[in-house]
Amino acid sequence: MRTAPRTERETETTALSAPDVPWVLIIWNDPVNLMSYVSYVFQSYFGYSEAKAGELMMQVHSEGKSAVAHGSKEKMEAHAAAMHGYGLWATVQKDDANAEG
Amino acid sequence: MARAFKYSRKGITGALEETERSLLRNLFADVIGMLEPDTPAQTDPLAALIGLDLSVQVPQDPALLRLLPDAVRGDDDAALEFRQLTERSLRESKIGALRAASLALESDKLVLTEESAKLFSTALNDVRLVLSERLEIRSESDAERIHQMQDWAQADDVDSYLALVYNFTSWLQESLVQAMLDSLQNTAPRKP
Repeated sequence: MRTAPRTERETETTALSAPDVPWVLIIWNDPVNLMSYVSYVFQSYFGYSEAKAGELMMQVHSEGKSAVAHGSKEKMEAHAAAMHGYGLWATVQKDDANAEG
Repeated sequence: MARAFKYSRKGITGALEETERSLLRNLFADVIGMLEPDTPAQTDPLAALIGLDLSVQVPQDPALLRLLPDAVRGDDDAALEFRQLTERSLRESKIGALRAASLALESDKLVLTEESAKLFSTALNDVRLVLSERLEIRSESDAERIHQMQDWAQADDVDSYLALVYNFTSWLQESLVQAMLDSLQNTAPRKP
């Protein structure tokens, strides 16, 4: 499921001023959370389709992590708190260099 | 024996025996006990209103850290600041889900709405996270090793007992989540 590196992103971010820099929500793999549960959370919380939720879930599972949402810092932090509520391990970071891992 | 959850027009239904319900109630109570904060609620009304808690520290117990993980990697100050703003309400929402799940166990036949199923699966997930830390499940192969333990006759020490409990809660959660996914397919409008 490994995807090609996304180089086009780098040129976009340099043009933005600091408060506009997009942030990402990363979900990390662990051997405990059920694949079905992770997919359920992605569908019910983010409203992603079954296909998109499944794709993101497989990326978490096979690559160890996945950037599942992009947006403002505040929004990503709210998502992270919600994910912790579900028991998924989520972190927030600036959407720079290796956000897509 | 427990019966797998299923989705129908009645909602999400399942059945558990008294021993299973009593086991789950005890597990939920244990995790509630871990999550109840050591420090009293904020006396400053504004701080209480926004959930700010400056006394919050990173949990020492690794099982508690699984329930309340850092939201920022590689920046301890930012991670602590996030904790001060969110951890108290996270503890409260988890305790709320665990209490709701306990209440759902009053009867041997469980009939769950979409919302109560969500709380029940979250509670089961938190129980599994705590058990996995006690069982030192760190990798897929650890998980596979624990999964091999399926026979209650093998429960001859604490670890094997915990492994069997973990497998029971995993089976129950998987069955519940499958029913929740069925329910989702039938109800929710979806973004493309």
